[in-house]
Amino acid sequence: MPRGELMTKKKRRNTPPIGGETRTRKREMLRFLAEMEPKKMILYPLAVFIVALILVAVNFPPLGIDLKGGVVVTAYGISENPDELEKWLGGELGVGVHVEKFTSVSGVSGIRVYAPSGVDPLKVISVLKTRYPDAKYTHSEVQPTFGELAKRQGIKAVTFAFIAMAVVVFLFFRNPVSSLAIIFSALSDMVIAIALMGIFGIQLTTATIAALLMLIGYTVDSNILLTTKLTKRKEDTIEEAYLSAVSTGFTMSTTTLGALLMLWLISTSPTIDNIAIVLIFGLLADFMNTWIFNAGVLRWYLSRGVKA
Amino acid sequence: MNRKLKKLLLNWKILLLIIFVLGSMATLYFRPLTYGIDIAGGVAIVAQTEHPVDSKTMELVVDSLQRRLNTLGLRDISVEAQGNQIVVVKVANVTMDEADSIRSVIENQGVFYMEFDGVIFGTGKDITYVGPYQIKPDNSWAVPFRISKEAAEKFAKLAKGKAGWPVDMFLDPPVNSLLIVPKSVYDVMNSTAFNAQAPQAPFLIERIHKALNISTITYTGQSADEIKRLAAGRQVVLVDVPQSLYENLRALNVTVKYVPRPKGADDRVLIKQVLGLYGPYSLGEGLANGEPQTDVQISGSAPDRVTAEREARTVYTVLKSGSLPVKLNVIGMQFISPKLGENFKTQALYAGIGALVAVLLIVYFHYRKWRIAIPIASTSLFEVIIILGIAALIRWNLDLPSIAGIIAAIGTGVDQQIVITDELLGGERVTRITRRGSSLRRIGRAFFIIFASAATTIAAMSFLLVYFVGTLKGFAVTTILGVLIGILITRPAYAEVAKYLLGEE
Repeated sequence: MPRGELMTKKKRRNTPPIGGETRTRKREMLRFLAEMEPKKMILYPLAVFIVALILVAVNFPPLGIDLKGGVVVTAYGISENPDELEKWLGGELGVGVHVEKFTSVSGVSGIRVYAPSGVDPLKVISVLKTRYPDAKYTHSEVQPTFGELAKRQGIKAVTFAFIAMAVVVFLFFRNPVSSLAIIFSALSDMVIAIALMGIFGIQLTTATIAALLMLIGYTVDSNILLTTKLTKRKEDTIEEAYLSAVSTGFTMSTTTLGALLMLWLISTSPTIDNIAIVLIFGLLADFMNTWIFNAGVLRWYLSRGVKA
Repeated sequence: MNRKLKKLLLNWKILLLIIFVLGSMATLYFRPLTYGIDIAGGVAIVAQTEHPVDSKTMELVVDSLQRRLNTLGLRDISVEAQGNQIVVVKVANVTMDEADSIRSVIENQGVFYMEFDGVIFGTGKDITYVGPYQIKPDNSWAVPFRISKEAAEKFAKLAKGKAGWPVDMFLDPPVNSLLIVPKSVYDVMNSTAFNAQAPQAPFLIERIHKALNISTITYTGQSADEIKRLAAGRQVVLVDVPQSLYENLRALNVTVKYVPRPKGADDRVLIKQVLGLYGPYSLGEGLANGEPQTDVQISGSAPDRVTAEREARTVYTVLKSGSLPVKLNVIGMQFISPKLGENFKTQALYAGIGALVAVLLIVYFHYRKWRIAIPIASTSLFEVIIILGIAALIRWNLDLPSIAGIIAAIGTGVDQQIVITDELLGGERVTRITRRGSSLRRIGRAFFIIFASAATTIAAMSFLLVYFVGTLKGFAVTTILGVLIGILITRPAYAEVAKYLLGEE
């Protein structure tokens, strides 16, 4: 790594610690978290979890066509009022369709037409072609039976992944309280992400199921960091260890969020877009669940341990 | 100081990283990445059998489908069984019409004909049983099967006294069509090349004309209009002729199929592919006596056991194809035009670069030091290069879910590098005497965190790999790959670099 040369000439001994100033500022900014009462730290996220649970129950995200069955035709190079197009197309085809418009920052725009299963996608395209002969078309079609299959597998995959995660976490920490706190955080992240998907009308598809699975990985990252720092802490007080962990966690989350936001802005592929947005939801939830809920549990648990 | 840098560069962890990065770049250069159909363009069709089948039947279904799809003359058709009910067919670079004809092949039973002397004496329905094939130590093989009484009677009459004559079998031949072929192909069809041991028997060109209404003409530069007139409403099959003719005929609203010559295929192989022809098999003495016989067999011999096995298996599959025990229904279909795929590819590239730049800038914002931000971002870049290199090496088809998996791996990778950095920086508050020991312990703790999260991610993703059908496999594969590369190669190397840069004395 030759770029190391850049700083080899300097006498390091006299320089202040790297990034010290910003780090201190960051710690000051996050200090309010360290000063929260553990009881509140546990109760607030629990309340959010319960609200999310209710939201999921009453307003579950819509199922995408790959889970429900149906037809989607995507046409690139059309920019048109979707409502007007919806009316026209519905009339031509004789079935109710749903039209969506999309644009990316790189300037690609187009429409997506959703139709119930049984409609021939080629017919939709030929109708569209009468008006937009130059657009580029792609289509996909899923029968309800396949949707059913994908749904069953999705549930299975998420369940098993979750159990696997729980087992590994138990094996690493061998402590029921800290392990259960991590597992609950992961569960709550997922539930909150699903609730937000419901609110914003983001479809549950195989891609978003993948994102939910990905979330398990990210959640566990930050939670393991916190738990390790607090339970294997050697030199600092709990508060100091927490502050150091939360500032690392803050750096991690903002970096990942930034990268995901970029991805979401640039891509027009619904697969990548949806994965990015669901992860953004999950990471926001994870910040609360790790650094408030799980930290609250650990602080309560560790301070009790000291007294005993 | 230079000595320290040298020591860093000669550290085995760094060397390993350098070797992997260079190796991956070389791999990518000599063996470019291949893409899934959602990027490269093409069609993916998911079909389901009517009811669950055992693995043997599934193998048969896949084999038979592969053979039948091959007669369409498309390149790179992949047919893959998943579980006990799902068959996924993927074909790169096809037009919408071709995608539709692939679909109809999948949804329809294979059409099987047995023909002798220009007369069809049996179809798939007439094959009532196909026995397991036998291979003898001398590498000769035999596939026993039973035909219906009507077929046996018809055949006995036709074949009387014609031992050594050719018996043809066709699977999905282009019935009622006009074949336009190069002169060399025409000459082979109009010769004894397909006559088994009977030069006096009618030539192949005549047999298919009589039996299947397929007429063959040599391509001599006829115009599309002329061909349309000759076809007289029949389908036109263009074999190894200029492709422009295909477009011109399509413009004239003629049903037309284009079969290019597969790489390295000679005229004989090409003819068999176009016609879906298996055989011809030479008629044995015992069947030429005019007596109807329902239990018959096809036999042959091969130079070695592997070839014998393959030949016998082909015959077995073809005989079974006309009467498969199970029907396939298309339950999902995704079509991406090749041009759009190109678009996705550049977009994925931009998105990747954008994400890396975002990482660089945000990390800089947090530490205000390029000497932290640049190593973190470049380690992530190396990680992407290594993942892509390995993907190219194992010929993994990169599809959109795979790219999402790479993103996931990179995301957790950056997280873990930040953990390492902060753990190292955390030593600042401790007195100088304890610093070294503390720093070693801190890095150790960072790796505990890293291993714990890597183990969890891999455990969770393995289930995806096992339990998911179809599209999300790529996601699991690249995530696991990325996490493994992370813990084994890039993270240890980054830790060394970080120790050096952050002033480990």
